[in-house]
Amino acid sequence: MPLSRLLPIIPLAPACLLMGVMFLLPFGMVAVTAFWGQAPGSWLVDEAFTTRNFARILADPYFVLVIGRTLRIGVEAAVICLLLGLPVASVIVRARGQVRGLLLVLMLLPMVCGALVQTLGMLNLFGLAGVVNGALKQLGLIDRSIRFLGNETGVLLGLIQAFLPLMVLPLVTVLGRIPPDLPAAAASLGASRLRVLQRIMLPLAGPGIAAGAILVFSASVTSFVTPQILGQGHVQMFGPLVYQQAALVLDWPFASALCVVMLAALALAAALLAGVARLAARPRA
Amino acid sequence: MRLRSKRAWRAVRRAVFWGVLGLGLIGARPASAQDFSGKTLVVGVWGGDIERLIREHVVAALEKETGAKVELLLGGTGDRLAKIYAERTHPTMDVAFLNIYESPQALKDGVVDAPDPSAPYYKTIWPGMNNGCYAMSLNGLGIAYSKKLVTSPPEWADMWKPAYKGKIALPPYPGSEDDGVLAVAARLAGADEHSADKAFSKLAELKPIATTYTSLDQVFGLMGSGEVAMAPMIGGYAMAALKKDPDIGFVYPKSPGPVLVRDMLCLVHNSPNPELAKKFAALALGVELQTAYATELYFGPTNMNVKVPPAMANDVIASPEQVKSLLTLDWPYIITQRAAWTDRWNKEILGD
Repeated sequence: MPLSRLLPIIPLAPACLLMGVMFLLPFGMVAVTAFWGQAPGSWLVDEAFTTRNFARILADPYFVLVIGRTLRIGVEAAVICLLLGLPVASVIVRARGQVRGLLLVLMLLPMVCGALVQTLGMLNLFGLAGVVNGALKQLGLIDRSIRFLGNETGVLLGLIQAFLPLMVLPLVTVLGRIPPDLPAAAASLGASRLRVLQRIMLPLAGPGIAAGAILVFSASVTSFVTPQILGQGHVQMFGPLVYQQAALVLDWPFASALCVVMLAALALAAALLAGVARLAARPRA
Repeated sequence: MRLRSKRAWRAVRRAVFWGVLGLGLIGARPASAQDFSGKTLVVGVWGGDIERLIREHVVAALEKETGAKVELLLGGTGDRLAKIYAERTHPTMDVAFLNIYESPQALKDGVVDAPDPSAPYYKTIWPGMNNGCYAMSLNGLGIAYSKKLVTSPPEWADMWKPAYKGKIALPPYPGSEDDGVLAVAARLAGADEHSADKAFSKLAELKPIATTYTSLDQVFGLMGSGEVAMAPMIGGYAMAALKKDPDIGFVYPKSPGPVLVRDMLCLVHNSPNPELAKKFAALALGVELQTAYATELYFGPTNMNVKVPPAMANDVIASPEQVKSLLTLDWPYIITQRAAWTDRWNKEILGD
């Protein structure tokens, strides 16, 4: 290959190398480990080929349930983030200059402190001994704390709170590119508001919606800290389940198999989600 | 260019100066002490008070004696187990503190070295306690309780009283505390830990579990606010915390007696610094640290030469006779059930 054709590829090399070493290689190892096992009475990995781990996952409704629940919570988080994020994004887009910058910074601020701090904040607010329960008790409205956490709603709240910026940012980008006069122009040509939304706004915002949805969905289904702390063991999701198997039960082959099944389900779900978003955004004839 | 070479010269001079000074210091050491300067001993251990006591009573002395550095890698037993298993062929950790039932398994899997009966620190430990690794401390599983909600020291069976429904907190599974609770539940149902069905169905009667607690502060806070009445807990931790909080009580129940648990000190197989690791073990299992463990943390000493103050005799497990009054479980059996019981715990204790 002539050098002139190779040149543009060279700047890509570090990123490719990083992805290869940090993601593909370890994931390859996980995929291989998934087909290994443990000898009876030992925690050492036995490298003999087996499909036992996959059989165990598919045979036990519990694991399918956890994976299913994780995917469902991911979709719920993505949809709710979209509904909450659209108005926020339109306000940011319409704001001018410094106000816009300020709003964006405010939006991003929670992400800077990371999921752990946010989740612990939620715990202090909504926990059994938290601020909200304490206030309600002081007001004499309740005498026993309300269990806000340790259920799906609590986990979902935590995820939405943590990942909303992932939805708002791509929305701001796409909405910012739509000329402000465009909806008005469509309306002046007789299009109803619904029709403007359907044929003008959605198709133009589609890529942003899809990107945001995929980001929120992926972040939610792979999150560990939020379901671990806010689920309090009662809402088993994928992240804590894999942690339990890998770090506490020390069954790495089984934990690896769970990851492989999850990744397959995730790829399928993401493809489906992207397809739906694209379909919704396609201009109708 | 000149500036750079000047700087380089200064750096070289500084290096030579410190090097000579260092050599001089080493030369000044007594000839008998082996020199370990430049080496770093890595010890995996729990954080908090345990870390503090080990720093005060072991690390300082060991660093002074050997010139080596000691790095304490803090975390839970699971973190250490995962690390020593993952690094089995090239370990980076020298000493790992494990629990009573994980250490025989680690020995069986060849990731730790068997206790050496000829070592002086082996011989000062009560006979029969060095299973898998060296016995570090003795402890019992008892019940921490909110004095506001539970007026007199509870028995195990009291956890099942309707008044406390939904107010029992448990630690995360798998772990020796929960396995102890399962064994107690089985006994209350007329069986023992070999009858998993009875254990789990009895324990499931406690549902809903108030919370899965991961820190003492968390569960004591919930006891303070009246949301948790009782939580099975390792005695040492709980009794050390009692001093700070008058509203929390702790009891070693009698029927069945408290479950015996034990911290173990393990020397990692093929570790980078085996000699240093043995020196660490000698200090950690010695009278000084074990006395501090007993007087400050209520952890029972395994070293026969430790004298527990008479005032603490009831709270600290310090002799084989006291150990006999405790409930000793079939840990080798329990460890084989870990994967299966984890699944059952997720579904039957925490699930809906």
